[in-house]
Amino acid sequence: MTVQLSHLDMLEAEAIYIFREAAAQFRKPVLMYSIGKDSTVLLHLARKAFWPQKPPFPLLHIDTTWKFRDMIAFRDKTVREFGLDLIVHTNEEGLKKGINPYDYSPSVYTDVMKTQPLKQALDKYGFDAAFGGARRDEESSRAKERVFSFRSAGHRWDPRRQRPEMWNLLNGRLGTGETVRVFPLSNWTERDVWRYIARENLDVVPLYFAARRPTITRNGQLLVVDDDRLPLQPGEVPQMKSVRFRTLGCWPLTAAVPSTAADLESVVAETLGARTSERQGRLIDHDQAGAMERKKQEGYF
Amino acid sequence: MTALTAIRREDLAPALNQDLNGILHLLTCGSVDDGKSTLIGRLLWDASDLYDDQRETINRSSNAATGGAHPDFSLLLDGLVAEREQGITIDVAWRYFDTATRRFVVIDSPGHEQYTRNMASGASHADVAIMLVDARHGVKRQTRRHAAILDIVGVKRVILAVNKMDLADWSQDRFRAIEADFRELTLRFGFREAIAIPVSAVGGDNVARRSEHMPWYTGPHLLEHLERIPPRDITPRGPFRLPVQTVLRDGLDFRGLAGTVASGYISVGDRVTDALSGQSAHVLRIATMGRDLELAKQGQAVTLQLDTDIDVARGAILSLADHPPTVATQIEARIVWLWETPFDPSAGYFLRTATDLAPISTISIKSLLDLETLIAEPSEKASVNDIAIASITLGRSVAVDTFADNQPTGAFLIVDALTGATVAGGVIASATAGNGASASAFKLTRELLERGLCRDLSDSDEDRREFQRRASEAALLLHAAGIPVKIEL
Repeated sequence: MTVQLSHLDMLEAEAIYIFREAAAQFRKPVLMYSIGKDSTVLLHLARKAFWPQKPPFPLLHIDTTWKFRDMIAFRDKTVREFGLDLIVHTNEEGLKKGINPYDYSPSVYTDVMKTQPLKQALDKYGFDAAFGGARRDEESSRAKERVFSFRSAGHRWDPRRQRPEMWNLLNGRLGTGETVRVFPLSNWTERDVWRYIARENLDVVPLYFAARRPTITRNGQLLVVDDDRLPLQPGEVPQMKSVRFRTLGCWPLTAAVPSTAADLESVVAETLGARTSERQGRLIDHDQAGAMERKKQEGYF
Repeated sequence: MTALTAIRREDLAPALNQDLNGILHLLTCGSVDDGKSTLIGRLLWDASDLYDDQRETINRSSNAATGGAHPDFSLLLDGLVAEREQGITIDVAWRYFDTATRRFVVIDSPGHEQYTRNMASGASHADVAIMLVDARHGVKRQTRRHAAILDIVGVKRVILAVNKMDLADWSQDRFRAIEADFRELTLRFGFREAIAIPVSAVGGDNVARRSEHMPWYTGPHLLEHLERIPPRDITPRGPFRLPVQTVLRDGLDFRGLAGTVASGYISVGDRVTDALSGQSAHVLRIATMGRDLELAKQGQAVTLQLDTDIDVARGAILSLADHPPTVATQIEARIVWLWETPFDPSAGYFLRTATDLAPISTISIKSLLDLETLIAEPSEKASVNDIAIASITLGRSVAVDTFADNQPTGAFLIVDALTGATVAGGVIASATAGNGASASAFKLTRELLERGLCRDLSDSDEDRREFQRRASEAALLLHAAGIPVKIEL
């Protein structure tokens, strides 16, 4: 009896435990599905947690309408393959007002097209708990996040009034007007996510693999032009380059990296050897000091 | 926009298998003045796989703060804006790094007395704790308080990092004196291992490399010692316990009890018992998605299919028949009061155990522990940061162990019924069947509930859970109205 669990085994078991606790304690949970690698791992763990049943909650995708086309295709294929319920929600008001990622600052865009519709959808369907793929290693304010992260009425996060979490006991009793965000991947790192994808041989969006794509360079970042909506600046001519993504979001806000890693094995090799953190490719986090903490207080994941 | 450098393909297999060594949860406690953030930052800086952009950010910000003399390592740790502005650690922060041999989870917790609760909650997740002192000041009141908290929440290994040795002339005498104080202190507690290491976090001496300044010290440096500590899961400890989280079905004939093995292990064919109902059955299958297991051990999340369909639901703890948990209504415990609102004897509280949630009839505080003298002073009150001895009477039976016998099933939370807040965390010193609520208590029976409040409920698993829930809520309402109540279902 000295068989040792690897740290991936331990992380997997912990995530399954969290899923089961949340499903048992909350009345109407939902899984925030953002199509990326973290969501892929999250969904896989949810399927494991409740097998042979299907996960007892739907997926929710907040569609800003600026996701890469490959992401939407992957989303629909995944939902079909596993026979899951998917809710897609867009902030129609924001869309009508023409809020887009290039005329507006990242903070305004994120608030209107991501945070607001997330709150709208949670309210509209009456979800009291939302699973998310956030990890504590992503960013310094996330490092203080709880596994069950309570939000007061209006979905606000108050870092000063978080519930203490002791041992592995998870208290999901809600106060009036409270909802909760649940983070089964809290203790995973980016490298764990890729190791796990490789170990479990999971299908991910093709954008994570290198391919020749039309790119422009703007503010020192490499952007892939996914359609003709982004007005090009003088001198910007899309050039075909072999690139891939370490993190996926709205395409005008997500920087690619030059790479020739075209299959899972080489991507994992690159990630394990990477010298920079993935959030470097996320333009919204660089907007201002304490950006993530402020966004979270306002209800962002 | 730098290109990624791939590791060589022949190195990939070892890199992927790098996960074979488990996880060590490391708590750091001490105050900013002792150089805690600097120590952990130094450990991350020297020993970990920190990313280049993180290093650059630190270097850039440090130039403003330290005039560029050295990187301000503490910037790696203090996350929230309020904390950065005030230069203190308020909340518990989690950091992850890999060395060549294992995953480290650093749980950085505040040291000040007004954040005792944060330290206690951080410590409850730790395998080992680093207590930090300034070599010039030695073991202080605060060190004693920290040792007491660590002992209460179950940390078994402690390290005293005697920091700022550079400011104490690298003095062996000074270190030995502090080490002796530390030894005397730790002997009062139930630690399995206690070691003192002389370090200088600013210079990195004895943090992740041996110091040239202290040739008289022949013990391990900090990282070396940490890498030697066995991870907690190598040998499953304690009797088999599986707190049932939920019941899973495939819509046909599969009915499985899902949960994570909290301690010990179980094999196919073993006879398991639910102590609460007294029912037993044999394990037919240990199922997970993808493959069945012959054996499940501590830490594994599984679904057990039994050979007879015994009526077991969430809240039950499966055990082997010859070593069951205690079915208790009366608990003596040490608790840490975590919430700003003080203990209120007339408020409604729940006891949250592994997977059960039971209404509490009464809590009576017996005494408060003075963490510096370790003397219990009689008291009926408890408020934030207090460590109290409490006697808890439950509205119905729960399955528990004492914390000394089995940590995972011997710890609990106290939950405020109205706000849902986690008001206290506790460890069970003793648990007995007792009489539960006193004989004169109002008996909330199944029959009473079926007659009205629960008459819409069927016999399905879901409805039975709902029945339990309504019974608990009804008991709390009666309790809040001043009526002693006992649930008899």
